[in-house]
Amino acid sequence: MELKEYFEFLISDYTLRTISIGTAVLGAICGMLGSFAVLRKQSLLGDAISHAALPGIAIAFLIIESKNSVVFLIGALLSGLLGTFWIRGIVNKTHLKSDTALGLILSTFFGFGMLLLTYIQKIPNANQAGLESYLFGQAATLVESDVWLMSGVTGISFIILLLFWKELKILLFDPDFTKTIGFNTKFLDILITSFIVVAIVLGLQTVGVVLMSAMLLAPAAAARQWTNKLSTMVIVAAIFGALSGVIGTGISASSNNLSTGPIIVIVAAIFVLFSFVFSPGRGLLFREIRFRKNRRDLQLHKTLSFMYHIAKDHANISHPHAIKILNNFQGFTRKTLKQLEDKNYISLDGNMWQMTPTGYEKAATLYDQISKSDE
Amino acid sequence: MNSAQIEIQLIASLVAIACAIPGTFLVLRKMALITDAISHSILPGIVIGFFITHDLSSPLLILLATASGVLTVVLVEFIQKTGLVKEDTAIGLVFPALFSIGIILISKNASDVHLDIDAVLLGELAFAPFDRITVGTTDLGPKSLWIIGSILITTLLLLIAFFKELKVSTFDKGLAASLGFSPAIIHYGLMTVSSVTTVGAFDAVGAILVIALMIAPAATAYLLTQDLKKMLLLATLFGITGAILGYWSAHLLDASISGSITTVLGIVFLLVYLFAKNKGLISVLYRQKQQQKEVLLLTFLLHLHNHSDEEEERKVAHLNDHINWQKVKSRTVLSLALKNNMITIDNQIIALTDKGKTFTEEAINYIITNKDTEIEKMKDRFFLFRG
Repeated sequence: MELKEYFEFLISDYTLRTISIGTAVLGAICGMLGSFAVLRKQSLLGDAISHAALPGIAIAFLIIESKNSVVFLIGALLSGLLGTFWIRGIVNKTHLKSDTALGLILSTFFGFGMLLLTYIQKIPNANQAGLESYLFGQAATLVESDVWLMSGVTGISFIILLLFWKELKILLFDPDFTKTIGFNTKFLDILITSFIVVAIVLGLQTVGVVLMSAMLLAPAAAARQWTNKLSTMVIVAAIFGALSGVIGTGISASSNNLSTGPIIVIVAAIFVLFSFVFSPGRGLLFREIRFRKNRRDLQLHKTLSFMYHIAKDHANISHPHAIKILNNFQGFTRKTLKQLEDKNYISLDGNMWQMTPTGYEKAATLYDQISKSDE
Repeated sequence: MNSAQIEIQLIASLVAIACAIPGTFLVLRKMALITDAISHSILPGIVIGFFITHDLSSPLLILLATASGVLTVVLVEFIQKTGLVKEDTAIGLVFPALFSIGIILISKNASDVHLDIDAVLLGELAFAPFDRITVGTTDLGPKSLWIIGSILITTLLLLIAFFKELKVSTFDKGLAASLGFSPAIIHYGLMTVSSVTTVGAFDAVGAILVIALMIAPAATAYLLTQDLKKMLLLATLFGITGAILGYWSAHLLDASISGSITTVLGIVFLLVYLFAKNKGLISVLYRQKQQQKEVLLLTFLLHLHNHSDEEEERKVAHLNDHINWQKVKSRTVLSLALKNNMITIDNQIIALTDKGKTFTEEAINYIITNKDTEIEKMKDRFFLFRG
């Protein structure tokens, strides 16, 4: 399908439009709040919370015996929060480390949830069909009211984020300082954690319990590579999240048998991969290029200084020498000699080289400059 | 109990033991979450292996899945080394991506793959006894029993052979390296064993139960002991308990076996977490409260000691007015001091007894010489009743 055709279809088709907007909003809120999770080193908390939300959904179903997204959300929220605070209790009150606590809560809550789900499947009630869609998510089940709910929650969390921006920022980078200057760190901590839980719970219906953590992490991890500024990171992460939502929905809509959740995660993972490699400041590619350039400069300077030591023994500094005599110095090639000539440090004549006054001066002061620029 | 039931319980128990051994080391090495990553990311390996062999328990499939588990570990470590993101973010990025690839592979080829995503997460323990190995006409038992049995025996042999190395490198990496055990070999060895165990157990019990069986028994045991051998034994014991109790509660509820084993493991952890003798929540909270009261008592005695010649400062009512203690608080501190014969109250005026005086002076001595820990031992000597 052509891109243009797709966009026309997107605007005309109600279902596709709803789902696209839904996944975009979801991606945006996840990117926004995920930035905090990533920077607070709570990346895997998202994984634990999303798994821990499952029994909440199952219990909510057992209580009301019908499907209702809002009630499910509340159930998921409560059980997610319970999981979060239990993890915190384990880490604070025992010597078990956070990784053990996370893995423990994640697996036992999820197992309990699955127990309840299989139990629900056995009770004769026609309503239970579709509960499994919470495992891997089913974006196709999104309806307009879900999108409104998501947008509402995103709006509220955006406003709260703006209101407490300064406090959250300072908490992020220096919790001890925040405490000393009198902010209620416990409150701020609970605030941001609760919003992360809310974001996760919102995404359960779309991408599912298992893949939700990637939705939270990937846009933020990608955005982190492009900036060192929190506000930029949050915005870029939101954009990455929204884009992965829209593109993922598009790909899965244009092909059969592709569930939306995994595709969105793959798209987000591609964003991460791209950022890891190509971001100008931290990316692997530019890091390698910088590294090579530095090494080449160093080699060039070494060659120049080697020549300088030969030339300085002669009365005439521009006395020609055979290239041959450089042979016991490893680290020059025809190409590097040519580069030196381009810089007007030496001049080449057949198999001979001679230093120019500029080159001589440059070489004489080479190490002075380095030590000066170090200061 | 029929033979199928016995076989299921046997398989579940063997899986529990096979998971508890590497799990203990992972928990101690603070790498518990790598099991989460491995158990999810072996999926693409399993799916590709299944395309080739069309058999969930063929050795090639196990090999491929193990390779994709080890690949996860390598990828995670590579991302960590670039320093672009933190360690836990690296884990959180790698496994959902690989898991998604697995799911897409399954759903793309749904028509020729009889792999159910539910089965991937939950396993099909209930069906394990139906897939049997037969040689000629003799029935050798369920296939998964053989697979997990051989994994368990290998794990046990490796554990016995390398126990010393594992122990040293777990608790002191630097020492292990200087003694000449390569930490890298032990690390990747442990990762490979974990991957193999995960893959072997996966078929029977599914991805989530593998995580639970690795982490929960080890974490529970860690709350009860600080001795590695005891911890291994306890973890195994908890694993088996979970497996058998879980099986019967699933039988009762007619629900997923692996879900209910996980739940039992969670409940066992909760009980130990609350009631463990020294590390449990209740005893920790109790001890904190006791400490608090005893610190208050010490402060109070110091106050009395400072003002031993000013009656005004030693009135009972003064506690409320000047030290700003609430009524209840001052009453508990007073009664604790009285019970321990540290003070006498005469006409609403408090005076230190001889015992109280010696106690306070010794305490001051320890505080000014910065040996605060000695006060704990002193408390044992002086106190008749603890706070």
